[in-house]
Amino acid sequence: MAQMPALIPKEVEIQRLKKLWLIVIAMGSTAASVEVDNFVDGSLHQTSIRDSAFTPAHWWLYSHFITLPLGWAAAAMYDRRIPILRGPNNSINTGLKMTILGYLATMFTIGVNEMWHFWFVEEIFAVPNHWMFNMGVVVAFMGALAYVVRVYARLVELGAETPGENPYVAEMYKMALEGKLYSRSIP
Amino acid sequence: MTLPKGFGSGGGGGSSSADVERMIGKRVENMTGMITASYLAAWAATFGGTAAGYFYYPWAYPTNSGHFAFIILTIIEAIGYIFCVKVMQEGSNKNSNGVVAGAVGGTAVGTLLISMFVGF
Repeated sequence: MAQMPALIPKEVEIQRLKKLWLIVIAMGSTAASVEVDNFVDGSLHQTSIRDSAFTPAHWWLYSHFITLPLGWAAAAMYDRRIPILRGPNNSINTGLKMTILGYLATMFTIGVNEMWHFWFVEEIFAVPNHWMFNMGVVVAFMGALAYVVRVYARLVELGAETPGENPYVAEMYKMALEGKLYSRSIP
Repeated sequence: MTLPKGFGSGGGGGSSSADVERMIGKRVENMTGMITASYLAAWAATFGGTAAGYFYYPWAYPTNSGHFAFIILTIIEAIGYIFCVKVMQEGSNKNSNGVVAGAVGGTAVGTLLISMFVGF
């Protein structure tokens, strides 16, 4: 198993990775709650008209467009203290770049969405202004997944986490640590 | 190992355990208090958010829907809270199972009472 060079003491790196993990778990809870709100919002729009952008199901939905970008911004700032997570040319981690781009798209879409609903139609799930919400969130989650797998693989490498016992999962972590999975090709 | 500027013994490159401790700052296994406070704050905010819904917009957000959301969110927050504390303390000698049980149990009872008596 390839051992990546450490630029800071191992104990310091484990503690910093775990502090990053705290932010990620908090954001995971937010993302899980918004998954529930997809159903709440969907059922609300089947029974009531869109009298305001600030119906409760929207407070819940829109709150993650604020909390997750803020959380990832906090992760991006803290990330600078962990050399192994830097991107090409000491830039920001590529997974984080994708996440930030995805959320920029969703934040832009909030404005577009309000204009569309003001001038045109009711809350129908498949209207084009919702496409960019969904695409932005998917891009953000893809980047976030690459980043989280990288953090986890590094914790495994440092011996702070135990890799999966499932042989297929273990093989995936092994490939990640050998640079053959995206967690190394997207540094 | 060479340490960042400001750490170590002036160019020698050696790191002492005091330097490592200073670089770490507050250790994650000692953060249970902060994590618990954050969980309780998130739970209270969840109650506030759903209560604002059924008190101010009852036509759009019936009390039952608010309580449904409150219960589901409390479960999700509790899972995140347990994950946070357990992951931060794994591999150390620290154990805060009592605090976690108290916080999760307390919010479970609180959620139940709120769901039965508030907003009807």
